[in-house]
Amino acid sequence: MTAGAQRATLVPDPGSQDAAIPILAVAAGAETYGFPLSAVREILMPPPLTEVPRAAKHFLGVIAVRGEIVTLVDLSELLRLEERDRQPLGRVILVDVGEELIGVAVDRVVQVAQLQSDQIEYASAMSADLSEYVVGVARIPSPSLGNGEEMVILIDPGALLGGLT
Amino acid sequence: MSDPRDNVQQEFLAEAQELVEALSRDLLLLDEAHQRAERPDASLINEIFRSVHTLKGIAGMFGYKHVGAIAHALEDLLDDLRLGRIDIGDPLLDVLFDSVERFQRLLSLEDPQSPEETPEVDAYVAIVQSIGNQPASDDGDPLHRYAIGSAVLSVLTEYEEHRLRACIREGMQLYRLRATFDLTAIDDSIEALRDVVRDDAEIITYLPSLEGGNDESIELVVLLASRVPESELKAHFEGQYGAVEAIEEQTHLPTIPPHLTSIPPGAQSLLPQPEEESGQASLRSVANSVRVDIRKLDDLMNVVGELALVRTAVGRAISGLDGDPRYKHSLRELDRLGRGFERQLAELRTRILDVRMVPLGQVFSKFARIVRQAAREHDKQVRLVVTGATTEVDKLIVEELADPLMHLVRNAIDHGIESVETRMRLAKPSEGTLALNAYHKGRNVVIEVEDDGGGMHAQKLRETAVSRGLLTAEASYDLTRQEMLNLVFLPGFSTNESVTDLSGRGVGMDVVKTNILRMGGVVSIASEQGIGTKITVTLPITLAIIRALIVKVGGRLFALPISAVREAVPFSQQDVRTIQGRKVITMRGETLPVCDLTPWFGLRAVEHQASRFVIVCEMGNRELGFVVDDLMGQEDVITKSLGQSLSSVRGFAGAADLGNQRLALVLDTPALFSEYFSSSDALPSMEARA
Repeated sequence: MTAGAQRATLVPDPGSQDAAIPILAVAAGAETYGFPLSAVREILMPPPLTEVPRAAKHFLGVIAVRGEIVTLVDLSELLRLEERDRQPLGRVILVDVGEELIGVAVDRVVQVAQLQSDQIEYASAMSADLSEYVVGVARIPSPSLGNGEEMVILIDPGALLGGLT
Repeated sequence: MSDPRDNVQQEFLAEAQELVEALSRDLLLLDEAHQRAERPDASLINEIFRSVHTLKGIAGMFGYKHVGAIAHALEDLLDDLRLGRIDIGDPLLDVLFDSVERFQRLLSLEDPQSPEETPEVDAYVAIVQSIGNQPASDDGDPLHRYAIGSAVLSVLTEYEEHRLRACIREGMQLYRLRATFDLTAIDDSIEALRDVVRDDAEIITYLPSLEGGNDESIELVVLLASRVPESELKAHFEGQYGAVEAIEEQTHLPTIPPHLTSIPPGAQSLLPQPEEESGQASLRSVANSVRVDIRKLDDLMNVVGELALVRTAVGRAISGLDGDPRYKHSLRELDRLGRGFERQLAELRTRILDVRMVPLGQVFSKFARIVRQAAREHDKQVRLVVTGATTEVDKLIVEELADPLMHLVRNAIDHGIESVETRMRLAKPSEGTLALNAYHKGRNVVIEVEDDGGGMHAQKLRETAVSRGLLTAEASYDLTRQEMLNLVFLPGFSTNESVTDLSGRGVGMDVVKTNILRMGGVVSIASEQGIGTKITVTLPITLAIIRALIVKVGGRLFALPISAVREAVPFSQQDVRTIQGRKVITMRGETLPVCDLTPWFGLRAVEHQASRFVIVCEMGNRELGFVVDDLMGQEDVITKSLGQSLSSVRGFAGAADLGNQRLALVLDTPALFSEYFSSSDALPSMEARA
């Protein structure tokens, strides 16, 4: 299922300066995160969840997707957002991290946005000490905020979800 | 993300490996025939020749130059052999067997062109060539004594001529069979005729006749050699095929009828060119099969699962229309179609499972060489007898079986079969027999590894187990003979003091048993002292589907492979006692350790649980009772592995789809056992209960 997947990237092709990068913006807790759309296989209504005893807390369990067993990860828990009671599952996005498909539980899907490279403020250029899976931040127009903008934290799915245990 | 070149390389290696395995298997048959002083079957030598020929071809394409060089030399040697230019003998067989190992080693090299290998390969090729140069004995040409006709003889290939001579030399009678074949199915018909003839006779060649044919059919004259009396052969072929006439041995040569020699122009292209006979056959076998990655079959199976979901959804949508009189007629029709759809879906699923099946011969063939080699090393004489090599099991099982079976086979030669001197003294045949038998039994496949060696000494096994501290002397006196035999499955048990080349490398029968259990199988021992030992492995035909007991723990469903379950009994908290921190219950006077899965899995206990159950599981002579909340019944489930991300979570072999996207985790019984028994000192008195 994951064979032939391209390594998803938020770093634009140097040859094409103007190329827009499509991202999927999702809400987890009070924050908005952006996944490169190329890594997102599917957005699902949460299927019945089967918990896996003895697994780390960020693993919600396993779900069946088209006959495959997919591990479901809680994004808020993984990012160690503020403690909160377990929420009913909002949406599941299936993310391709190369060796397997991981289901990521998010509160809701915000929008698909096209980012120009000059909209992105790369983590490498920021002084803040950020986790290695944060590529950078970008501001996108927010329909829900009228003419306002919201800040999206751009995630490298491979760094966040690859090699999880 | 795989490199297509890599894929091609993998394909080559897979095919080369298969060819080498086939070669190994056929060589053993050749060796067997030779040891019995029988003339080797010509078709077998052809088969070997074809394997080597194909290997040479593909090795050349993929730059495996050493493999190609050896295959080329062997091809010449085998060609000499099949044309009767050289005789079969031990030096020849040794060289051929040696090639199997060389091929395997060369195929495993990182660099297929490695110059380091060149001197050794060259030396081997020189040996092969030197053997090829020793001509066979020739006792004159008998062909001229038969009324075959020089015109026919002139169109025979060298190989056909050789077979003809060989058959005459063996005292076989020659016959001419006239048979009419349908032009459109001529290849198949000739194949079928070959099959019919195989036991009774050998087809030397066939040529079209001018008579008896029309637009749709053609009459062939088939030249046969046979040991079967003429009357019997006639009874067999006449009616179904056509007239059989004997070709008499004569002193003078009559002229050959013209129809035997001339080939009608239209028919020629339909017939295999005699010179290319071997090439054609191998091409045909290639064209009829495809190599498929097993993961593609898994994907197909998933699609079938999806279709079943769609079917359920459609059914739900239809039932929404129920009760509406306007749709009454259509609903009945939809219902009928729905059932038909389900039937086809079930059929599709069966067919896909069927594609995954491969003959056990694939793994048996590996043993041919090992048996020969191991017997030589130990100076024992061992005859390998294989039955049921065509018994089919799931591809995954075949892969997983190789190691456990290898261990059993080595054990049988090392510990089982006695030396030649011992066997002579015991008035047993000097040659020991090692039998690999496979057959289907219900939903299972049974594999037996049987030897006619010394058998197992039950009391000695008991003493060893006690001396290794695996059980107390007191406990050991209660064991039945069968229980003593089963002691070999205990971890840390090995009867041989010395570590031999063959077995006893620390991994013993306990590993064999664990591996078999992991596949949902069971293994049992039967042994009579002085007569032999039989190890029986019973496995599900397909790994994909296992029978499982569905249980409820902490409000969640889990599946327990039924193969590990011995029984399920009601559980009562009052019966639990504690021995050295271990919870145990007494069952039929025996002490059984139990563990409650609810706290073990860190789940919250469901309150007001009226009646709970103990599932008694058995593994390697150990028993453990899992306490569960409820039994939900048995189901056939397809186990799928959990993703890489959950690989560090112990105790679960995978998840099974119970339908409607509901999953149950499948308990990994062997892992739970080892976790339980290694968590603190095990109690010897409880281990040895069988």
